[in-house]
Amino acid sequence: MPIFLYIEHHSFVHRLHPTVKVLALFTMFWSVYWVDHPLALLPLGLLMLAVAQITGAWPNFYRLRWLFILVVLTTTVAWMVFYRRGPALIDLPLIHLSRASLLFGFGRGLKLAELLATSVLFLSTTKVEEFTAGLARLGVPYRVGFAITLSFRLVPLFIDSALTVVQAQRLRGYDFDRGGPLERARRYVPVVIPVFMGALRKANAMAMALEARGFGMSRQPTSFIDYPVRARDLAATFSLCALCALYFYIYYSGYGAISPN
Amino acid sequence: MKSGNPALEAAAPCGKSEPASSAAPAAALDDVSFTYAGGARPALRRLTFEIAPGEMVGVMGASGAGKSTLAKCLNRIVPEFEGGQFAGRVRIGGRELDGARVWQVAPRVGMVFQDFEAQLFSTNVAHEVAFAMEQMGMERAEMARRIRPALEAVGLAGFDHRDPTSLSGGEKQRLAIASVLALRPALVVLDEPTTDLDPEGKAEVFALIRSLRGQGLSLIAIEHEAEVLAGADRLVLLRDGEIIAAGAPRDLMTRIDLLEECGVHPPDLNRVLARLGIAAHAASVDEAEAAIWRAMPRVAVAGDPSEAPRQVRDAGFDDGPPLVEVRGLSFNYPDGPPVLDAIDLRIAPGEFLAIIGQNGSGKTTLAKHLVGLLRPTSGAVMLSGRDRSTLPPAETAAEAGYVFQNPDHQIFAATVADEVAFGPRNFNLHEREIEDRCDEVLRAVGLEEARARDPFLLSKGERQRLAVASVLALRPRLLILDEPTTGLDYREQRRMMALVRQLNRDGIAIVMITHTPWLVAEYARRVVLMRRGRKLYDGDVREFFARTDLLASSSFRAPEATELARRFGTVALSADELADWLKARN
Repeated sequence: MPIFLYIEHHSFVHRLHPTVKVLALFTMFWSVYWVDHPLALLPLGLLMLAVAQITGAWPNFYRLRWLFILVVLTTTVAWMVFYRRGPALIDLPLIHLSRASLLFGFGRGLKLAELLATSVLFLSTTKVEEFTAGLARLGVPYRVGFAITLSFRLVPLFIDSALTVVQAQRLRGYDFDRGGPLERARRYVPVVIPVFMGALRKANAMAMALEARGFGMSRQPTSFIDYPVRARDLAATFSLCALCALYFYIYYSGYGAISPN
Repeated sequence: MKSGNPALEAAAPCGKSEPASSAAPAAALDDVSFTYAGGARPALRRLTFEIAPGEMVGVMGASGAGKSTLAKCLNRIVPEFEGGQFAGRVRIGGRELDGARVWQVAPRVGMVFQDFEAQLFSTNVAHEVAFAMEQMGMERAEMARRIRPALEAVGLAGFDHRDPTSLSGGEKQRLAIASVLALRPALVVLDEPTTDLDPEGKAEVFALIRSLRGQGLSLIAIEHEAEVLAGADRLVLLRDGEIIAAGAPRDLMTRIDLLEECGVHPPDLNRVLARLGIAAHAASVDEAEAAIWRAMPRVAVAGDPSEAPRQVRDAGFDDGPPLVEVRGLSFNYPDGPPVLDAIDLRIAPGEFLAIIGQNGSGKTTLAKHLVGLLRPTSGAVMLSGRDRSTLPPAETAAEAGYVFQNPDHQIFAATVADEVAFGPRNFNLHEREIEDRCDEVLRAVGLEEARARDPFLLSKGERQRLAVASVLALRPRLLILDEPTTGLDYREQRRMMALVRQLNRDGIAIVMITHTPWLVAEYARRVVLMRRGRKLYDGDVREFFARTDLLASSSFRAPEATELARRFGTVALSADELADWLKARN
């Protein structure tokens, strides 16, 4: 089973300049950030679905489908507890179900799901080297950019290691599902310690291997891969800037907000 | 010597270094001592060592002897990266390294580490090779010129666009070597490069080392197994941070007792010769055979398989009803191809079974079904006559224990005793009972003195035995060990396997997943060979090693003693067994 999200595909998005892809990531985050109303978030969601179709990223969305469902559902329900505005449709001791709380909760759920979807699309279409190059072009120091992108590569490895540790402890009769939420969290100590120790060892081994390969010799290393800027990159940049402006306008004009009434 | 391969031609250091002196040794350590920060004793003690240009030196020794520390001194990882107290001088090509940073040495000293996963950083093979050159600030055109010869040198030509994560272990390690070669260093240091590889991967890397050896590069290879260093110009044996012996392979490899004392696996062939009283070094099976014929011209070749040395069954074996019965087991991940395909398997109480096969053949997947870590797509796994899927976890744990390849995947407690007690506590046993079990299993694995120690401070071998102890504390009737000797030196391997054999003699059935031929030959009584999710062979270990067709098709190499035995018409499973058989027939 693949543990990385990148999917080899020859789509328009895959061929974009790395800097444009990083810019697209920030643009989507920016646009999602400014609006709360599900109707305002909907076009972004549809755009992401279209990009998923173009880029062949569906397998990654399918792999993470439960996470998306969980994020939307739990966030919607959670905001019914905390967002107690608007005339109540149903008023229970804990839950305040109103049109506003429903819209706000669903909007928040959609927002988180869209942030997640943006990241999935980015990682499905961008290699770690491209991410590093994109960050470098935006002025992020090479070492910082490399560390950020390397961490993306390491996370799946650590998840894989954590799954093995869970198996090892279960086989010794350990029950991770006993008790309430706090007790359950505490019961993950026998997983966290081996994973953490393993991560330290791995990080140490990688740091040694990196230095032994000359990492650190140059503040701005050369790049084996050439990333020429093409007309499509300029067009994409222009579209992304327009999207940024549009969503800021929606926020500024108040269309993206939810009225308590 | 000119290599003929542009990737290997004379060092062309990038950066600020001055030209090296051609008369100077490729590398020299002069009176070097090093003690790791917090270390109780020096890892290296006043060590003096030289390697000539174009020379290949094999460095051997037990875990903790100082082999890796020596290697790391050559590119300044010691003391720049690994803090501690350093004294002495290190020179590369006549230039002293004093004060240099690790990355400054990188163009001249290429280092390949044991953990191949930790030294690959890119998503594309060609880019992986380019990575170090990018760090040096090399022009794109020059990088492109160097990539192809480097990949050709390691047999990965045409792999340019592959994702390194899709390569096999051997290919990954060869890629790591290619990325070092592309810098055209004067010296390449290989620190146990084959430890984590299957036999096929090992063979690939050893073949590569031999080809590099033939192309005039200075090489230092660190290994636990003397056999694989037979092609070196010189061997160096380390113990407690000191060189205790050095010389040509034919001189050092015949010192069987000394090698064993130092935690090094002596070559099987020399062991046979030594047991027969023949004072000679055999670099190949042909040489060993010739030496035996010279010394024992009247030895009678066996013409009948029944004349093979007899295998003695250990006491614990039981022909009764099966402990495990696997019926028509198939498994595949969602939307994936079959990983296991209609496997039938019976394991009797007290059996000692080795599951072998190439990476991806389904060995671990099969073993994980036995303990319920995976659910069959179809078929069933029965434990002591009951469907495993209906057994509660406590009963499964009491039937079958699983020791993972990496002991660090389970260790978390503050003391050794707490680590062992973790399993029994999960089953709410009485504290007295837990204490008794801890005493019993810690004694069995030889860690009774370490009960109050922090498990993270134990050696790898001790941590591996602790992992076994913590599973044994649940008193399983079947113990599954996934590569139980990976990363251990020969002494630790022998100790680990002596423990496993004793547990088997005490009646515990053993299932061992391994890539190591001599472990299979010397310890297992039955072999299950897997290929592409199917069982290719299931039967007696001696019969398995007699089947040259199976060995060839599964890329599983018999131990050299077994190969040698075949020349005399028999199947022997160890050097000692063959020597005894030859003596009896002389």
